[in-house]
Amino acid sequence: MTDNSLLKQYQHQPGVWDEMFSQDGLREHYSNFVSAIEGLPPLEMTHKDETAKKLFMSQGITFTVYNSGEGIEKIFPFDIIPRIITSSEWTQIEAGIKQRLKALNIFLKDIYHSRFIVNDGIIPAHLIYSCPNFLREMVNVEVPYDIYTHVAGVDLIRDNDGQFYVLEDNLRTPSGVSYMLENRSITYRIFPDLLPKNNVRTVKEYPELLFKNLVSVANRQMSNPTVVLLTPGIYNSAYFEHTTLARLMGIELVEGRDLIVDNHIVYMKTTKGLEKVDVIYRRVDDEFIDPLVFRPDSILGVPGIYWAYRKGNVSIVNAMGNGVADDKAIYTYVPDMIKYYLNEEPILKNVPTYDLENIDQRKHVFANMDKMVVKKTNESGGYGMLMGNSATEQQMDEFKKAIEHDPRSFIAQPIISLSSTPCYINGVLQPRRVDLRPYALCGPDGINIVPGGLTRVALKEGSMVVNSSQGGGSKDTWVLA
Amino acid sequence: MLSRVADTIYWLARYMERTNGILQASRTNFIASQDGLQEFGWRPLLVTYTDLSPEEIGEMEYDTSRVLEYLIMDRANGSSAFNYVMQARENARSIQDHITKEVWQCLNDYYHFIRNANIAGELKHGDPVSAIDMIMRQGILYTGTVDNTMTRDEGFTYMNIGKFLERAIQTTDMVSMKLGEFSKDTKNILEGPSMRYLLYTLFGYEIYIKTYKGNFIADNILQLVVYNQHFPHSILYCLERIFKYFERLQADSVAENFDQLNFLIGKTMNNIKYSNVNAKDPEMLSGFLMQTKNEIFEIGSTLSKLYFGNS
Repeated sequence: MTDNSLLKQYQHQPGVWDEMFSQDGLREHYSNFVSAIEGLPPLEMTHKDETAKKLFMSQGITFTVYNSGEGIEKIFPFDIIPRIITSSEWTQIEAGIKQRLKALNIFLKDIYHSRFIVNDGIIPAHLIYSCPNFLREMVNVEVPYDIYTHVAGVDLIRDNDGQFYVLEDNLRTPSGVSYMLENRSITYRIFPDLLPKNNVRTVKEYPELLFKNLVSVANRQMSNPTVVLLTPGIYNSAYFEHTTLARLMGIELVEGRDLIVDNHIVYMKTTKGLEKVDVIYRRVDDEFIDPLVFRPDSILGVPGIYWAYRKGNVSIVNAMGNGVADDKAIYTYVPDMIKYYLNEEPILKNVPTYDLENIDQRKHVFANMDKMVVKKTNESGGYGMLMGNSATEQQMDEFKKAIEHDPRSFIAQPIISLSSTPCYINGVLQPRRVDLRPYALCGPDGINIVPGGLTRVALKEGSMVVNSSQGGGSKDTWVLA
Repeated sequence: MLSRVADTIYWLARYMERTNGILQASRTNFIASQDGLQEFGWRPLLVTYTDLSPEEIGEMEYDTSRVLEYLIMDRANGSSAFNYVMQARENARSIQDHITKEVWQCLNDYYHFIRNANIAGELKHGDPVSAIDMIMRQGILYTGTVDNTMTRDEGFTYMNIGKFLERAIQTTDMVSMKLGEFSKDTKNILEGPSMRYLLYTLFGYEIYIKTYKGNFIADNILQLVVYNQHFPHSILYCLERIFKYFERLQADSVAENFDQLNFLIGKTMNNIKYSNVNAKDPEMLSGFLMQTKNEIFEIGSTLSKLYFGNS
């Protein structure tokens, strides 16, 4: 039984766009990859799968899932079949994301200063001020180069028309980039030579680019700024990523308790005494970052850091208060932002979204709830979500009640039929749904998007939830040159 | 270097050295227990290496299999080799950016090995020496990886200070444990073996017989394990290494802190170097060992206070 039959056995799903197969057969950009593996005996593919798992385990590439209070270390599931994107598709994605992030950075500057977009009636004021992540503390605070989001992950999905849509923006502390780097290094070990043969663009420049951007936002009088990465610590589910990035950039990995603020300057406690810190790449959420200003019960943050930041004595990446721009209700206005700030048509479209504060739209959503996804506007990780097509009557009723009680906290979208791609599961190629999260770096010199990003897979059959905390996995993403 | 990181990496090294010590002591004592004519008691080892009460020790001390399991694999025993390896690995996990990827992977492999491999079974039902050897092999791999891949930077210095501090404590403890044997008449061959086992525990048997041609005289043994400057497990050797490594920290230290600790280490080292212990006066020997151990502990706590920010 050769791999050819593996492919032949692949079950197409009606109404779903498949990444590898079109109606007429194998898509051209997959032909090189497929011809390389089709001669392989099935045991060989299984061997590759097992090798990949062993490599992840021995390198400690794990994340922590919290279940009933207990943290369990798990290997981030990895599927060996890469997801391939053509260079023309990528050109569109890249341009679309750059445009979007440019607008979002201007938006953040605008609402924390002059609020033109509100005054001109484009976005309703109450929507901004009712967002729990809008920080009054950030109003009129100057940030270097007016860049608020330096590291952003924009989630894209492909609908059954083959077009990419933006599912959501992640402008605060997007994670997963270390898996993008590790996936690539595992792929070239299990499929030697395939990457150069397919002309796949590299992703390894990410840490250098990030470091360059971090250095450039330091106070201009420093020639050799001290850059650190602030992590919540080893119990955080993304700790592996923090330590990988710190190691690849050659910067110090600090926790809140390693820093101290004296006279509005941030220092770190070293064996040689206190050393000044200029730039902090922080992976601690806004509300935990300063117990004197935000949550007073936080021990992950640094007391007084907000005042040091406000004074301009330390630069923080990403800026505080970005949550207002990735709020799912504000998301519906991003195309308007692009038109308003840039005077351009959006290159990447949003997924149609219903405003549940609007009575008519709410009625429509309630009537068609089984075809809708209902999400909380300010949660992440796939929590607080209702998938209409697999929810029970009771769950739908609970959500309806919650929506009526607080419509601002919810949005609804029609269930998009995410594209599928073959995954090697239990010795058979099976279709699973995927999304794409490219990572963008915004610096004073412009916006760089590393070609590829993380393709997240919903490993459970029939599921469309790709988040790692909900049993999702990832694939290596190839962008062809 | 961040104080927290220095603290963590120092303790990583101490845990690894302690694991090695426990494993070798267990291995040697197991062989001793099979070799002797009378009932071999594990009491001295259990007193030194565990927090068990005298009653609990009393229950276990003649059950070799139970003791081995307790000292090496018991997850409920905070001082078991298993828990030390786990702790070392957790330490390494939280300072991954200060050790090389190879060292991290090595410790991660050690952790998975001791957790997953059928060591516990081999220890209980099979050949305990093979089981211990397999575990110790992982420790040797760790030592080699550190030596081969790590830059000789601050982190490396703290690791070595931790390692040699722990080793000095181990040797001191081992000699104290065997103190009872030194006062006995050494001409009697039947008593010889316990001193032999002391040498095995400290990896010093071969160097001893090369130097002293097989005559097991207590004073010679003391010469080797306390004063010999070429024997890597001797107390003086360890202190000299600590002194040398600590000097490297001068450029990265606050001047007063450096001077204070430098003085303390030098004083401890010289107290050993310019002493003259012998087996004929066990009380003096016991006092000397106690004082040395206290001084070594003081080095550790001063380091912790001045360099790691612990009060």
